[in-house]
Amino acid sequence: MSSEPQPLKSWIKLLEAGKKITTHRQSDENIVYPLRRTFRPAAPDIAKGSLKRDFEQGLVYYVGDEVENDRAACGLSRLPPTGRSYADAVAKKRVILEDAGVFKKAGYDKKKGTFDY
Amino acid sequence: MAAAKSKDNSKADGAENGIAESGVKSVSSAKPTKYGYFLGCVMPVKMPWAEKATMTVSKHLGLDFDYMKETLCCVRPGVWKAMNPDWWLSVTAQNLANAEKQGITIVDTCNGCWISHYESLKELTEEPEKLKMVNEHLGKAGMHLKGDVKVKHYLELLHDDVGMEKIVASVVRPLTGIKVMRHIGCHARKHDETLPNDFDEILRATGVEIIDTPYDKTCCGLLLYFADSNQAILERIGKKMMTAQALGVDAYVIICSGCYDQFERGVKIYREEKGIIFETPIIHIAELLALAFGYEPEDFGMTKCRPIAADKFIEKVRAIAAKNAKAAVEKKKGGESL
Repeated sequence: MSSEPQPLKSWIKLLEAGKKITTHRQSDENIVYPLRRTFRPAAPDIAKGSLKRDFEQGLVYYVGDEVENDRAACGLSRLPPTGRSYADAVAKKRVILEDAGVFKKAGYDKKKGTFDY
Repeated sequence: MAAAKSKDNSKADGAENGIAESGVKSVSSAKPTKYGYFLGCVMPVKMPWAEKATMTVSKHLGLDFDYMKETLCCVRPGVWKAMNPDWWLSVTAQNLANAEKQGITIVDTCNGCWISHYESLKELTEEPEKLKMVNEHLGKAGMHLKGDVKVKHYLELLHDDVGMEKIVASVVRPLTGIKVMRHIGCHARKHDETLPNDFDEILRATGVEIIDTPYDKTCCGLLLYFADSNQAILERIGKKMMTAQALGVDAYVIICSGCYDQFERGVKIYREEKGIIFETPIIHIAELLALAFGYEPEDFGMTKCRPIAADKFIEKVRAIAAKNAKAAVEKKKGGESL
């Protein structure tokens, strides 16, 4: 029996979320193609969820109704003056990400919102 | 040295801002520094009370302080540099170029945002080839970066540009009798101990007593969480919060939103997965300053939306204020009867 501690449930949830948006899972495909060499993808599974949010809206956390209500309760504008209020800034970021080769090298499909590997 | 260079800039800014060393506004023809508050990802979503307190305190101190517009993720150097340093430089340069265009000095309360802006700006201004590479990408989005922009940590702004004398003079409700543990965060101590010392000095100015523990300098575990969840939560947040609980401190004071994100995550994991409930509230330094400057907790939402309620802490602050007010009245009466 292994004495290694089990990862925390919340961490497993985060990892699974990353795997869910990955088209080709090397661990599964290695069973079908045992001679294929595995490689380290640019974006690790554990960070894919937050990277996807960053790619889509320019920030790591979404602003939903609950957040808007919390902000209003603290005397702030419902929407922060971040990329959440400036769609143009997010559009520019996506142009930079594209031009810098981030989407391509990270294997990110902009239309589907998934990673190849 | 990087931090020393940053300090020199701060002093120049303080003079530009017309704030003399005495803390009194001096007559100056220099253009005042316009500060742009870079919110980042965590602050506006998880810490609206800290955002409001930061805005309140900064205006109270007479700064030309407003939100930086069109801000995006900083982007997190721990993740992005690990993937590709050139990607990190290219994406973070968008924020720098925006600040340059808006004519502001970027102010970060998050250590992660600060180190990302500070180090990328340093790298881009010292290495022209990298600036050229970044500008090629920015150019596709109709943007350009010269490198003529300043980046400041909020602690630097308070300590150097405003000055300790002015901060001390602004305290009308000293938080004497409040005991706190504090967490400054790794990035703030990356270059030297200036920011941690500033943090302590500002905290003490509010009147609180800082309780030192062996866990003050340990990392919050934010990035470690990606690699080893047990180590990041149990050995970092767990040890810190359990120590706070055991010592019976009134609050755990932080500055960095990235660290707060991990504290909140840790507190929730302990509650939901371990059945352990922590009771020490996690308070932002701007909240302490707002209280010490005489603002009420309701003025900045201190009682709202936090994983550990600050009710007991607020009750104690009010009790101390009432006691001090009573003592002042009695002292005055005593003086009059003499």
